Amino acid sequence: MKVLLSWVREFVDVDESAEAIGRTMSMRGLALEGLEPAGSDALLDFDVTANRPDCLSITGIAREIAVAYGQPFRAPAARLAPLAAAASAASGATLPITIEAPELCSRYVGAIADVTIGPSPAWMADRLTACGVRPINNVVDVTNYVLLEIGHPMHAFDHARLDGPAIVVRPARPGESIKTLDGKPRTLSPDMLVIADAARASAIGGVMGGAESEVAGGTRRIVFEAAWFKPQSVRATSRKLGLRTEASMRFERGADITAPPLAMARACELLQQIGAGQAAGPIIDAYPRRYEPARIWLPQPRIAGLLGMQVANDEVRRILEALGFEVSVGDGGWWVRAPGWRIDVHRDVDLVEEVGRHHGFEHLPTTFPGVQQAPSPSDPRITRDGRVRQIALGSGFSEAISFAFIEARYAEPFGDGKAVTLANPLSEKFAVMRPSLVPGVIAAVGHNRRHGRRDVQLFEIGTRFARSGEERVLALAWTGLATPDHWSGGRRDADFFDMKGVVEAVAAQFDVTLAVDLPADGSMPHRVLVPGRAAIVKRGDRVVGWLGQLRSEVTDAHDVPANDVVWAAEVALDVLAPAGASTAKRAMPLPRYPATVRDIALLVDESLSAAIVRGTIRSHAPETLVSVVEFDRYQGKGIPDGKVSLALRLTFQSPERTLTDAEVESATTEVVELLAREAGAVRR
Amino acid sequence: MTTTTIDPAIGPDRARALFDEELSSARTDAAVQALRNRWIARQGSWVSAFMERLAQATPEEKKQLGRGANELKKHVEAALAGREQELAATRRPAGAVDITLPGRAPRLGYRHPLSLIRQEVGEIFSRLGYQVLEGPEIEDDYHNFEALNMPTEHPARDMQDTLYLAEPLMPASYEPPTRGRAPLAPQPLTLLRTHTSAMQIREMERQEPPVRLVAIGPVYRRDNLDLTHTPMFHQVEGLVVGRGVTLADLKGTLTSMAASLFGSGQEVRFRPSFFPYTEPSAEVDIRCIRCNGDGCAMCKRTGWLEILGSGMVHPAVFEFVGYDPDEVTGFAFGMGIERVALLKWGVEDIRLFYENDLRFLEQFGR
Repeated sequence: MKVLLSWVREFVDVDESAEAIGRTMSMRGLALEGLEPAGSDALLDFDVTANRPDCLSITGIAREIAVAYGQPFRAPAARLAPLAAAASAASGATLPITIEAPELCSRYVGAIADVTIGPSPAWMADRLTACGVRPINNVVDVTNYVLLEIGHPMHAFDHARLDGPAIVVRPARPGESIKTLDGKPRTLSPDMLVIADAARASAIGGVMGGAESEVAGGTRRIVFEAAWFKPQSVRATSRKLGLRTEASMRFERGADITAPPLAMARACELLQQIGAGQAAGPIIDAYPRRYEPARIWLPQPRIAGLLGMQVANDEVRRILEALGFEVSVGDGGWWVRAPGWRIDVHRDVDLVEEVGRHHGFEHLPTTFPGVQQAPSPSDPRITRDGRVRQIALGSGFSEAISFAFIEARYAEPFGDGKAVTLANPLSEKFAVMRPSLVPGVIAAVGHNRRHGRRDVQLFEIGTRFARSGEERVLALAWTGLATPDHWSGGRRDADFFDMKGVVEAVAAQFDVTLAVDLPADGSMPHRVLVPGRAAIVKRGDRVVGWLGQLRSEVTDAHDVPANDVVWAAEVALDVLAPAGASTAKRAMPLPRYPATVRDIALLVDESLSAAIVRGTIRSHAPETLVSVVEFDRYQGKGIPDGKVSLALRLTFQSPERTLTDAEVESATTEVVELLAREAGAVRR
Repeated sequence: MTTTTIDPAIGPDRARALFDEELSSARTDAAVQALRNRWIARQGSWVSAFMERLAQATPEEKKQLGRGANELKKHVEAALAGREQELAATRRPAGAVDITLPGRAPRLGYRHPLSLIRQEVGEIFSRLGYQVLEGPEIEDDYHNFEALNMPTEHPARDMQDTLYLAEPLMPASYEPPTRGRAPLAPQPLTLLRTHTSAMQIREMERQEPPVRLVAIGPVYRRDNLDLTHTPMFHQVEGLVVGRGVTLADLKGTLTSMAASLFGSGQEVRFRPSFFPYTEPSAEVDIRCIRCNGDGCAMCKRTGWLEILGSGMVHPAVFEFVGYDPDEVTGFAFGMGIERVALLKWGVEDIRLFYENDLRFLEQFGR
């Protein structure tokens, strides 16, 4: 709300500079958004919160300034109320006003005036212009001047163009239409309120007037309107029509139902003052629903109880009365009635806020809430995700955070065809809730590759969405070298086993052993992955996720450079390590007897998987075989075609005694013979 | 190394100066050996050349030249021995490594700056005895708006432009409310939560007072991408409910948080404001961390930076969850994680947080 300082000063004496006033009011609930000089004057732009429509006016802001500075406020009501009363008792031309929907329009004040249309005087036009309102003609300018000054919207009809002439406030008829002042035809519905004459709609109540009855050059007699419309109704109408006006903005937040006669008196006064005309009859006040301000009990202890600071009783009363509240002292508190413009005040806390804000939040002490019991436990996912994050970071992955909504074409290959989509996305780029976090990390890989990074390792921990609900997952992507370049060599590209190792390390954090496998039904592990370089990850029988090399169609879609090999994985953390699962551990005693190690080298078919070799050994070996590790695998010179040389390290250990060489040797021989029999292995 | 032709005619004194010059650049064992050969070898060296010349000299010359050549030889021998010793002292022991080559750095990833702030805020409040929660990102209208005192058609809903689902989902699990005004039937999930305040309601429905929690996570609004807005961002919500909780307690708590986040002595101010779910409400500013209050472009010359919205929980909210507003009071606050990160690190474009550019991510630590 932009206000001219000189205009404000008509209602309150405050000597301070505009800057100082702005600073003070910012601490009283009216944040200063802007300040510009306007000749010798100043224009202050205050951010008025949605609960304070009364401050969308010069007098509303002047009242706040008066309270803040402890200065008297020259309330317009004090001067205008007698004027309105006198005008209501006057005689002359009258106007029949019928309110058919008193719920939606609880007060309608009208008056007839004879006018000579012309430009407004410069002082009025200048004030309107400074506050952002374009001057039109003296009559319209008077309504806008009143709007800015006391905050109540008004309207003027050309009396000659009202059929009757009469004012009927009624719901629109089905299919009824009106051309509004902005020249646009509007089709109305029965949930909208119109101001009609005897025949047809001449304005949309509280939103905008009609072009038919517009006050123009030839207008000689007008009907002034100052009414009160129900906020929800105006808001709904304004939304439905896509039509927001200065009037609708104030009515939908809540106008002062006691203000219409005052606004009318002020308008008639201004009309005469600027020589634009004069009232041709009494002020007619149709007021079917009388406003009864509620009495609010404010217990004295409630103030310190909420604020945590003491405010003297005199100060409480001064603040409330200066703001326009009626205050009477009761037993241990105050009975308070809110003025008509304070539609935001309903209960004691609202009054406490008034007291606190004008006493000054700057006087609040700094204390801490007392503790009555130990805190409840935190979300176990936070600790769990933190452990996953540590492994990912320690494995060289940097953390990404992506938008949770993605383009449908990116989501499609990852989803089940039943994605969670948005009704009103910002754009197609943000239309679908991600069914996987992998598209986000691939996009980030693409971004970094296009910006000159050769090696990119990224992970994200976040929520993926399905129609069945939300799920916390880890996504990983890796392209480029397995380890940083180094003068000592060892340069090689990241491969399947790098990614598999990271996924297994994450699982090991939670003492979970994963199976990296192919689907039992012979299907491909995932349609985004290159067959033969892809696997699913299982915990027991449950699929936890997948890993492998992304197909080029998928990386191309995210503008990853062609020929880049990108490895990706996704792991459902809630399956891998259900939040809140027991983390109890028991320490194992250290072995008391030494282990014996035997290395064996075997020649086996290259199609024989390591898992089968390991499984075969495990199924027949003695209990003393505690580990089997593949430590070399070689194909090439010296190895027959179709064969592979596999070196295994067998570790034997007993918790009860030192094993003898002979028994280890015989166990090893048994293993080798078993492999020869079952897998056609030949010892080298 | 500069070498001149061996010319005994110049005499031992000038030859000695020449040697000193050549010695100055001899920095390896090989160079020292070369000098030895060139200056004092039996044949073809400077000294041997002087000796040959001596043979043809007159007795008078012999005496002078002989002494000069001898002194030159001694000088060269001593100087070379000295240099050899110097070199030996700096020679690398057997098996020595070139310690100036680059180390083999473990490849460690970098944390996302928002993740760092999230953790920092979580730790600050854990230390103050709060439980730290996350919650669902898809919400129903009741928990996101209605129970926060924002009924349908409330103008305050305009403050947050909402993203809605094309088709509502039904919650996977449902616990009927035991008190308060929550609907008795499971509510369809229709929207992306616009604030973490929805978690206030869920937790108060679940827990009896006292309550002391922060809820952290992503929230969504229909805001176009620009320097200061993204349609998804992160919030931390704080809620304390109990007997005798006051606005002054909120001020103490947030002052302490600001000091932890931005440095001790960080000045904080409370400005009255409006939120439908708090009364009284306050916006909280910190003293501008760039200009320290003198006024700059960052703080729009006000000397202050807004960091969060807060207030005393509105009694209507307590009524929605079935708490007695005459028995308990509470405070709540909501702060944007991105906003903190922008201010703390002087990031000028919020979109950088969602580009995942490693050149950006690697600036904040692990």
